[in-house]
Amino acid sequence: MTWISKSVTGLGLLLLTHACYSAHEHSALHSTSTASLSSMASHTAVASTVASLPIDISIETVVAVFVICLGLVLGTPELRPIQWRVWAGKIEREGEKGFTNSDGNVDKDYVGNPFRMLESRPGFIDIRKQRKEFAEWVREGGGTAGASKS
Amino acid sequence: MSSSLSHPPAHLPPAVALQLSQQAPVTLRSTPSVISSYSFTTLWSAAETPELWTEYENLMLSCLRTGDEQSAGVCLERLTERFGAENERLMALRGLFQEAIAKDDATLKQVLEEYETILTKDPSNMPVSKRRIALLKTLGKTTEAITALNEFVDSSPTDAEAWAELADLYVTQGMYPQAIFALEEVLLITPYAWNIHARLGEVLFMAGSSGDTSTDKYLAEALRRFCRSIELCDDYLRGYYGLKLTTNKLLTSLPQASRQSKSDSGLPIPDIKTVERLNETATAKLSEIVRRSVSGESGWEGYENAEVIAAKALLDSGAAKSIR
Repeated sequence: MTWISKSVTGLGLLLLTHACYSAHEHSALHSTSTASLSSMASHTAVASTVASLPIDISIETVVAVFVICLGLVLGTPELRPIQWRVWAGKIEREGEKGFTNSDGNVDKDYVGNPFRMLESRPGFIDIRKQRKEFAEWVREGGGTAGASKS
Repeated sequence: MSSSLSHPPAHLPPAVALQLSQQAPVTLRSTPSVISSYSFTTLWSAAETPELWTEYENLMLSCLRTGDEQSAGVCLERLTERFGAENERLMALRGLFQEAIAKDDATLKQVLEEYETILTKDPSNMPVSKRRIALLKTLGKTTEAITALNEFVDSSPTDAEAWAELADLYVTQGMYPQAIFALEEVLLITPYAWNIHARLGEVLFMAGSSGDTSTDKYLAEALRRFCRSIELCDDYLRGYYGLKLTTNKLLTSLPQASRQSKSDSGLPIPDIKTVERLNETATAKLSEIVRRSVSGESGWEGYENAEVIAAKALLDSGAAKSIR
């Protein structure tokens, strides 16, 4: 998905650059030719042609802008759910994995279930009980597994 | 710092807590200890972020849990340097540190007295009064803790955390009607908390299973609460589990008692067909969740293992009963 959007955006940028370059070249060529022409021909006929670009350059510019827009739209990340139950279900079902970006990092604003703190209650934690539970966990052999893993 | 440091560590599994605290010395060395706002060093050192101090706090809690008191002390020191010793939150944290390193109950009682002197000076110090209640609970004085917590919610009735704690204390004492009331207060403050809806359903279910009076009413209410939690959260394992348990129980008790309680005030008890259909839905959904989670399908890895195993056991027992 990303390489498609990147290549489409690149193509659009290339087209736009080409259109700009063509417009610049056209005006530069035109001004030198009009400078030489103006000495012999009348001014009124030339002034109208200076302002108008050839139609193909205009079309190229417009097409390039649309192609760039298309590429950028294709490259947007997946939309977040806006319905409460879908969003909550995603948190419960996928956990942290549902909220990782393409680099494999968890999103910065991911907090899991925001109401979980009503059940863990950080203001009221019983630190002695937690220590005891942790010591038991280590005694049961969880510590060796954890230590070898890390 | 890793992402799990930015959330309160109470619910982390022990392995993660151990890993965090094992890395604590490294983490402490790599993060800035003091951030001065007016000096040349600010030009090239990282800017101060609010997350940094949350991470210090969470790191300290993890270290205390695993018994790494030295690193916890360093965290506390740096927080004190930044915010000053008179900060309310830091007073509570310091008390927590002393609670954790206390050797016996006598030292704990000293800490309790310290809390009380702080509170007589400034009764509006919320973090310290919460610590005091927690310490009362640690010391086994549950009734005193409940009284103190009742005073606390009187003065601060919008504190959902305190109401939830009160509900839990009531449940430990077996006072279900009071616990239900407290949980309903939590739901008034956070009406979309799907886990609290499920919790209330569980407490109602416990009340319905323990008492003899108005069992059906409690169970019907529990049924509604579980349905609401599922409504708020797709594929909520805990909600479906509760729904299945409640409907199982209702299906056994409803046929005898379907006539008697029609005159009761409040919502009527759902009729037996609805309950049956809900039971079927819960069974289907639970088996889908278990199947997908056990086979490790992508997008279904967020459930906790213990919960999935429990759901599987419930399904198996239900299947065995229906075969018989």
